[in-house]
Formats: sequence, C-alpha cells, structure tokens
Amino acid sequence: MIAAVRHPVFVGAVAAIVAACAGLLLAAGAGTSPAVAVDALVEGMTGTPYAIGSSLNTAAVLALIAAGFTVAYRAGLVNVGGEGQLCVGGVTGAAAGLALPQGVPGWIGVPVVLIAGFAGGAAWASIAGLLKAKRGTSEVITTLLLNFVGAGVLALAVHEEALLRQPVTSAETLPQSAPLPPGARLPLIGSIESPATLIVVLAVAAALIVALVLRHTPTGLRLTAVGHSPAASARLGLGVARLEVGGLAVAGGLAGAAGACLVATAPYVLAEHFSSGYGFTGLVVGLLARGSLTAVLAIALLFGLLTNGGINLQLAAGVPAASVQVVQSLLVLLIAASMIWTRKGAR
Amino acid sequence: MIALEIAGLSKTYGSVRALDGVDLTVEAGTVHCVLGENGAGKSTLCHAVGGSLTPSAGSMSLFGTRYAPRRPKEAIAAGVAMVHQHFSLVSTLTVAENLRLLRVGGLAARLERLADRYGLAVPLDETVGDLPLGVRQRVEIVKALLREPRLLVLDEPTGVLGPAEVDALLTTCRRIADDGGAVVLVTHKLGEVARVADVATVLRGGKVAGSGLTDLSADNLIPLMIGRPADDLAPVLAGTLGLSEVVVRDERAIDQAPVLSLRDISVTRPGGGYLLENVDLDIAPGEIVGVAGVEGNGQTELIHVLSGALVPDAGTVELAGEDLTRATPARRTAAGLGVVPEDRHHEGCVPELDVATNLYLGRLGEYRRFHVLLDKKAMRSAATAVIEKHGISAPGPAAPMSALSGGNQQKVVLARELALDPLVCLAAAQPTRGLDVGAVDAVLGRIRAAAAAGAAVLVVSSELGELLALCDRVVVAYRGKLSEAIVAAAPGAHDKIAHLMIGATA
Repeated sequence: MIAAVRHPVFVGAVAAIVAACAGLLLAAGAGTSPAVAVDALVEGMTGTPYAIGSSLNTAAVLALIAAGFTVAYRAGLVNVGGEGQLCVGGVTGAAAGLALPQGVPGWIGVPVVLIAGFAGGAAWASIAGLLKAKRGTSEVITTLLLNFVGAGVLALAVHEEALLRQPVTSAETLPQSAPLPPGARLPLIGSIESPATLIVVLAVAAALIVALVLRHTPTGLRLTAVGHSPAASARLGLGVARLEVGGLAVAGGLAGAAGACLVATAPYVLAEHFSSGYGFTGLVVGLLARGSLTAVLAIALLFGLLTNGGINLQLAAGVPAASVQVVQSLLVLLIAASMIWTRKGAR
Repeated sequence: MIALEIAGLSKTYGSVRALDGVDLTVEAGTVHCVLGENGAGKSTLCHAVGGSLTPSAGSMSLFGTRYAPRRPKEAIAAGVAMVHQHFSLVSTLTVAENLRLLRVGGLAARLERLADRYGLAVPLDETVGDLPLGVRQRVEIVKALLREPRLLVLDEPTGVLGPAEVDALLTTCRRIADDGGAVVLVTHKLGEVARVADVATVLRGGKVAGSGLTDLSADNLIPLMIGRPADDLAPVLAGTLGLSEVVVRDERAIDQAPVLSLRDISVTRPGGGYLLENVDLDIAPGEIVGVAGVEGNGQTELIHVLSGALVPDAGTVELAGEDLTRATPARRTAAGLGVVPEDRHHEGCVPELDVATNLYLGRLGEYRRFHVLLDKKAMRSAATAVIEKHGISAPGPAAPMSALSGGNQQKVVLARELALDPLVCLAAAQPTRGLDVGAVDAVLGRIRAAAAAGAAVLVVSSELGELLALCDRVVVAYRGKLSEAIVAAAPGAHDKIAHLMIGATA
C-alpha cells in the first residue's frame, strides 16, 4: 500500500494536480474563472496548427538541451551551462550561416549551420570539461559562470558591426544580425500553417541516438562507469579525463546546435535575447528526467506546451504568463522534494 | 548485576537475516567478548545496541529497565558508549577541541579522573591528524568514557593497531571492568579474547553459536566460529585469526633475477615530510613478498605508485625492464601488472554496475557487435564462465556487484586481475580484509597459484600471521620507509617484524 503511494508515477501525478490547482488559484486571483483560464491555456497549447507547431519547436529545443545534459550526467557531471552553450552555439551558427553565399542550397546550408552551432557549444563546454579533468575544478561552478560569459559573447557579437551586427544605416538599426540566407534556414515540416521545423525531427533523432549510445555501446557503459566511480574506472584503464571532457562537450554541442536551430528559425536573425532562458529550462527537463530519454521527450513536450499555453493565457485571458512559470517551478519543487520521499521508501 | 540483556534480537534486510534470535547477557564488572567471523552479525549487533538501527524483533534491557534506542543520541543518554573501528574525530582540530565538541561540563576534572583511574592520558594540545593511530584510539575511548557510561561497546577496535597499542587497549578494557564497568569487546581475533575476556559469546551466521563461554582456548572457540574442527584450518587462516602459533611457509631458494624493481621511490606529504621515503624493492618471478606494518605507514601510497593512481616525486618503477613510473593504468595492465586495490568499493570495482561489466570494463572493445554496439550477451557468458571457475557465489553475471558479499566481490576483483595474460606481477593490498574464512582460503590459494605460475607477487597486509604463512620474504613499512627484507621462515621472524612495526630496532 505504502509502496504504491510512493511510486514515482503516482507522486508525479499528485505533484501535477497540486501545481495545476495552484495555477488555477493564481488565475482566479487575476480575476479569471478557471474555465476561461483552462480554455485559453489549451487553446495556446494545441488549439490551432500554429499553436501545435510552436509548442513542438519549443519542446524540441528543450529536448536537445536535456538530451545533452543526460549524456554529461551519465558521466557524473552536472552541466548547468546550457544557456551559455546555447548562446555561443547561436553565435557560431549565425556566423557560419552568414558567411555562406545567398544562393546556397539547403542541403549544404542547414548542416553547416548546425555543425557550426554544435562545434561552438562543444568548445564552450570543453573549457569547463578541461578544467574539471586537469585541475578538478567543479563543473557546476565553471559551467554556471560560463553562462554569463557566453551571454556576453552574444551581446558583443550582435552589437559590433565588425562582428555579426547588420550594417547600421540609421539610429534605428536594431542590434541584431542580418537574416540568414534562405538555404541556411531550417525547413518547415508538416502543414504551411504550422511553424514546426526540422528541429523537431532533430530532437527526436538526438534523443534516440543518445539512448542507443548510452544503453548499447561500450562508450555508454564507460561513461556510466566513470559516473559511478572515477577512481575504479581509472584503475581499469579507462581514459577518465577524455570521457569527462567528451561527455561535457556533447552536452554543450547539443545545446549549441539548439542555439543554431533557434537562429535558423523565423525571423532568421541572431538577436541578443533569442534564447529566452531555454538553457535553464532544458536543465530542469534533464534533471527531472533522471537519465531516461523517454522522460526527456515527455517532459520537454509538457514544458513546451505549458510555455506556449502560458503565452496565450496572457493574450486571451489576461492572466500573466508568469503564472505558468509559477506552476512549472512548483512542479519542479514538488517533484524534487518527493524524490527524497520516494527514495526513503525504497530503502 | 546484569548490565545488558538482549533477548531474541533479529534484524532482517529483505530476505537476509543479519541477526536471528540473538540472546546475550553482559554482567557488570566483566569484559564480554563477542566473537565471530566477518559477516556473522557482529556489526549489526553493535548498531542495534548503539541505536543506529532498529531491530526487526526482540528486546533489550539495560540494568533492568527496558532499552530500545531509536537513534544514537538515545543510546548515549541511556549510558551506552560506542567506539567504532573507524574513528569519529575531526582530524584538523586538537584533542581538546574534539573533546569540547561533546559539550560535557567539568571537562578538566573528568579528564583528570580518567587519567587517575585508567591511566588514560591524552595530549590535549596536539592536532588529531598528527597523532599515531594508537593515540587516536585512546582519544576515542576517552571520548566514550567522558560521559561516564554504564556500558562500553568496542567494535573491532584493534584492526588498525600495532602489537604494543593492542596491549595498552586490552589493559584499559580490563581496568574499566575491574572498576565495575561493563565492557563488550567485539572482535574476530581469538588471541585477544584469551588475553582479556571473562566471558565470550560466539556468533555464526547471525545466530548465537555458543554463549556464556569461559573456556577461551582456541580449540574450544574455533569450531564454534567456523562450524568445523580447528584441524581443518589452513595454517594461513590461523594467522588471519590472530592465533599465536603460526606455521610458516618453507624457505625456498629464489635464484631468478627480479622482474619488478622499485628504485628510490619517494612521495612527499603535502604539508612537508615523506609519505614514502627512498623505497627500494625487488621481487623475482615466483616470489611472494609481504609488506607488514601498522596501517598508514606508506602502504597505501606504495600500492598507488604501482597502480598508477599516484606518480612518485622521485624514483622509478620497472617491470621486466620497462619503465612504468609514469605509465597510464591501461599501459600497466598491458605490461602484465595486476593490482588488487586496498579499497574494494572505491577503486577495486564499481558497486552499482553488474559483475560482467566489472570483469571486462577495461576490455569492452573485445565485445562488440556490428563494430559499434556492445555485445552484452557474449560478455555475460564469458563472465558466467569466470564465476564458475572461481567459485564466485553470485545471482548471475547481470547482478550488480553490490548484491555480492565482500568475499565474492574480492573474488571478482582478483579474477579480473589474474586474467591478465601474461600476468608478470600481482600487487594485492589487504586482499583478505573483511572476508570470511572460506573466502580467505580461496583468495590466498589463488594468490599462491599465481606465484607458482611464475608471477612476482606483492602482498600488503596488516595481519602479520597471514603474511608469515603466505610470503617468502617480509618487509616492514614504518613511517614511509621499508625495512630490510626478513625471511619469513627464519627463526624469530615474527618477533623481529612485530618490533619493526612499532619502530623499535630489532
């Protein structure tokens, strides 16, 4: 009986109900009846092809970051630097895309942007990885602090004409890059009314490949061993430093690729706040999924839906979108707190 | 007067019965020894008395009143003091500061009383980290006695002590008992029991195998401990159990040139001084060399220098002519150097992963399908063969290491290191620690067989008897230096080594 009550799925469901009730209370506080609020939320999540498409795009960005987080986490490393890696990946992706000629075909342009984004994010994360492997510096601290540096790199790139800023023609020229050439933009998938792009396919593919590598290859098992016991892994001849740097580089690479995808999605420019905190939300998705790639996809989808539903909640029902963030945060707190409880039950 | 009475105490973990209906009666004014092999339930019993675990069934009473502590704090409040094998002192603080952490009033007066009554003086102003282990143990006992407990429980207190320090500890136990206190001494060393105990209780497999014993001779106790007559006991096991009479291995002539050579190895301590100082060591093929010594005299660092976990500040490690001083662990393995680390759970294996992975983690490249995927099936069937060959008792190759007993974990680690081809040298640190008699026998047999097959073997152990029975030569580690080699079969070797262990010149 008690074992059933402590089951993670049950706990998750209770947490979701509690968080949803809190959300409805907040909506009521903003003067909106629960029925209207729920209607607006659902409308924003899945009400139109546009809503579905943008929810999927958001979910895909989160899933890419969370899949990377899971790789590093398997090696015992907590990557808190998704946001910075995403910014740097956006910068390198944009730089590569803008360097291409206007008439570049899509089968060259898109991979170039994605690979450049991956490389940028991977290099950014490798700084923390090398510091960890060579000097033992905590990756939690270094990746966290590199977020701010990454955001600075982004700001510099879009403000300096010598870097990526579009040619300044008047005082009103925005600090952002010129639009990417058409061949470097992510193609839409599905219907013309839906903004869903190739990133959705990429995210699902990335989750599948990560799951396969972690579960069924020697590399996955080595990462797991390093995550459990670096000392024993070193004794047994594994390249612990290489695996740690590699794990963190893949995490950064996937976040960087997500950044490049964001730049290659409408309006196809690199702007200072193109991320809107995806790096941190992706980290939360990764933490909640606790190593399961199925959970990564499911939670990323839930968060993607909630984010877009929240925007519509504000537009249609007049409830501040921040109330959805409150619900998300509450969900995280409840699940994190219940982990202690479920673990106690298992003992 | 009955100090502690335990009736029908049981503790189950899942399907495992760690304690099964244990009865125990401890009289005030006596030293009561609780004996048993590793895994007999001694530690579980200690934890139950100390309040750090709740028994599944049974009752306890302390001086006639019901006693059911739910946490250590309640045990302390009831007047029970525990001294565990691992010290609970803050090593960066001084002794006085450590004692003040207890927040007992009138510290100076209490300390004076302890010094008067039991001769337990401690250096109050010294930092704990700088003290020898024997003195730290004394501080630990003073700490336990400060609250003037009615019952003192010592869990394997002599594991890390040298012979002289053990003597002092046993004398203290005797004095506390003579003074009217009740002392429970938990141990697996028969030699100590005979010297200090009034009464003994023997545990085997979680049950009481003998209680109220006053005939404390080894002949009487061994069959109760291991469940078979003492004559069966291999001489080396007698060494492990701390019996005084040890049969040493016959002296053999080693005429081959050394294959493992350590030259002038030094490792400096971060705060100055040496962890290892100018260590030289040569081992020939087929030879077993033991490193004796009280723990913490450089043995750990010596093994780390061999395993590659530590690069020495000076000196060279050569195996069959190849310089391995700075080689990676993988390179060492390829050169035929097998290492059984001291700390099984930290370095020896990954407890969360399965047996097959622990056997083949360094050789995953050999188990592939379609070039990229891991062939778990092939790996597991290879592991099954190893499990059978080495008599490892495991639910299967896919069972996590942590599901195995300590002895079987050690067999897995040893099987992995012995599988090197060729095995040129095997270095084993504390290979029998925490193992029951059967496993000790198997592990030592494997080590001997490796030497017979031509490997140079280095064994680090704090069990002197075990080393004498196993090794050709024994060197003693003391404060980072190694003594001259002593031939194990030479007359008086035991006394000579025991002296060297505490730093006295023989």
